Amino acid sequence: MIGLPYYLVVGSILFGIGAFGTVTRRNAIAVLLSVELMLNAANLNFLAFWRFLTPAAMEPHLFVLIGLTVAAAEAAIGLAIVLNVYREYGTVNLDQIAELRG
Amino acid sequence: MGAPTQAIRDLSGILPILVLWGVALVILLGAPLLRRGPGSRLAAPLGGAGALGALLVLLRGSSDGFGDTLFAGAALTDTLYSSGAFVLLLGGFLSVLVAQTYLRSRDLEKPEYYAIMLLSLSGALLMMQANDLIVLFLGLELMSFGLYVLAGFARTDAKSDEAALKYFLLGALASALMLYGIMLTYGVAASTELSNVQSAVARGALKEPMGIAAALLLVIGLCFKIAAVPFHQWSPDVYEGAPTSATAFLATTAKIGAIVAFLRVCDTIAGGYHTWLPAIRAIAILSMIVGNLIAIAQTNVKRMLAYSGVAHAGYLLVAVACMGFRLMGTKGTQASILAMTGAVFYLLAYALALIGAFGVLAYLSSRDKDAQTLNDLRGLASSQPAVGYAMVLFMLSLAGIPATAGFIGKWQVFYAVLTGGDVALAVTMALTSAMGVYYYLRVVWYIVFEESAAPKPSPTGHGVEARPRAMTGVGAAITICCIATIGLGILPAAISSFLTVVR
Repeated sequence: MIGLPYYLVVGSILFGIGAFGTVTRRNAIAVLLSVELMLNAANLNFLAFWRFLTPAAMEPHLFVLIGLTVAAAEAAIGLAIVLNVYREYGTVNLDQIAELRG
Repeated sequence: MGAPTQAIRDLSGILPILVLWGVALVILLGAPLLRRGPGSRLAAPLGGAGALGALLVLLRGSSDGFGDTLFAGAALTDTLYSSGAFVLLLGGFLSVLVAQTYLRSRDLEKPEYYAIMLLSLSGALLMMQANDLIVLFLGLELMSFGLYVLAGFARTDAKSDEAALKYFLLGALASALMLYGIMLTYGVAASTELSNVQSAVARGALKEPMGIAAALLLVIGLCFKIAAVPFHQWSPDVYEGAPTSATAFLATTAKIGAIVAFLRVCDTIAGGYHTWLPAIRAIAILSMIVGNLIAIAQTNVKRMLAYSGVAHAGYLLVAVACMGFRLMGTKGTQASILAMTGAVFYLLAYALALIGAFGVLAYLSSRDKDAQTLNDLRGLASSQPAVGYAMVLFMLSLAGIPATAGFIGKWQVFYAVLTGGDVALAVTMALTSAMGVYYYLRVVWYIVFEESAAPKPSPTGHGVEARPRAMTGVGAAITICCIATIGLGILPAAISSFLTVVR
């Protein structure tokens, strides 16, 4: 029987990969992807908690829907911003996008 | 008249949000008409009407039913919300006034700007009304999405795009951390509603590893939004790169929304203070010291105000820390209530001075020049005395000099933390405030005592037609901020009926 801890471990691994990616990747789109991974780790764990802790409650389903919606909106805005940056800088490498320093 | 049904009560509880949404929708749908031609003069008034309308609806809202939860426990109305919302919407209205002039003089005006502002305000309102962590998250995201877009509103300006990208990536990371924290909270409390979280904390949830992780992730996420050390790296770049009117808006909106939500969350988890109070105290002390120290080295006023904003986040976190004293005897309870009222007043004083200061920068900007540095302010008191001395006043208020609103706000928070008996925080606050006086007074020095840098032959074309601007939005905003800053500094009681938080 696969219990709650297994799901939580998978979730935290996903979260860890995402957190690692946001810190180490220099490509803006890869960072965005990493953040999405972290959001989905939370979604996965919500469902695991629903299944094992509160099977009668419907809230976790709603939370996942909210999480997905937020992630989608975030991706839309993020890609739009990345597009604007690309037009001005000709790159999406975060190390080369550094006019603001001081 | 029969008893109003639950649905009507729920909707009337979030009426200010509905007003903001309605006006934002009108602006978005009417955008083709508002974009050019005679209609383009209407976009800013519509935006201002939206913020002002929401403010009036909020003030007219009957106080019976206060403390009630709405939407089956998802949201609530209480005095912390209503006073925070008062400050937020006032700041939003003033930001529209600043934006109207600044965007027009820099050829950036598009009707969408105002719609996004209103949507962002509605997100901050939702955040302050949240009685459930997921609703808080939703409000936070709604607010932040708007702010990301506004930061990058000058699309053909590389700096603005860079500011938006940095703000977005770090903001998205912060919200992912927060969602993970909320998920862990659900695992501990089997609910995300604040009252259930509170009872879970009372059962000792904050002694389990998962509960501790949840609390810390929530604290980190909110600290990102208010730019507290060590989560402040984005703020100087964003403040500098974003269009000045957007900087004024995002600096105040994010801080007001996040601090009020922070107060509420920490009030809820006060029972487990030994877990989070040391973290908040450390972050507060670090923010006060680091923010003030780095601000001293800045020559760009927008950057300096960003670091001073970090320091102000530290002062406000002192008030948040007071929430942890709630269950430590009567003194502690008193301190927590004093701190809530003090924090809201502080936010009002901060918003007035900050929007005023950015308003002055916006006032001095024209099509070919974006005023940002100390040199741009040189000799302002002799060349344009009214604006110059207004800027002096805002700097004094930010520094917390007596007879300005900033002093009263700082004093209230200081008094609250002393009542709570936390001498270390109080002493740090007093010392770092004194440190901050230095760089605010340096701005004053540049304005009053430095000679105007070789009276530039003002470019006859744009410069002259841009001159009679005193009567437009930004002039009005600066005037209101001035009057309110002095008025509240001398008569803080004048507004206490709106701003007092009771439990």
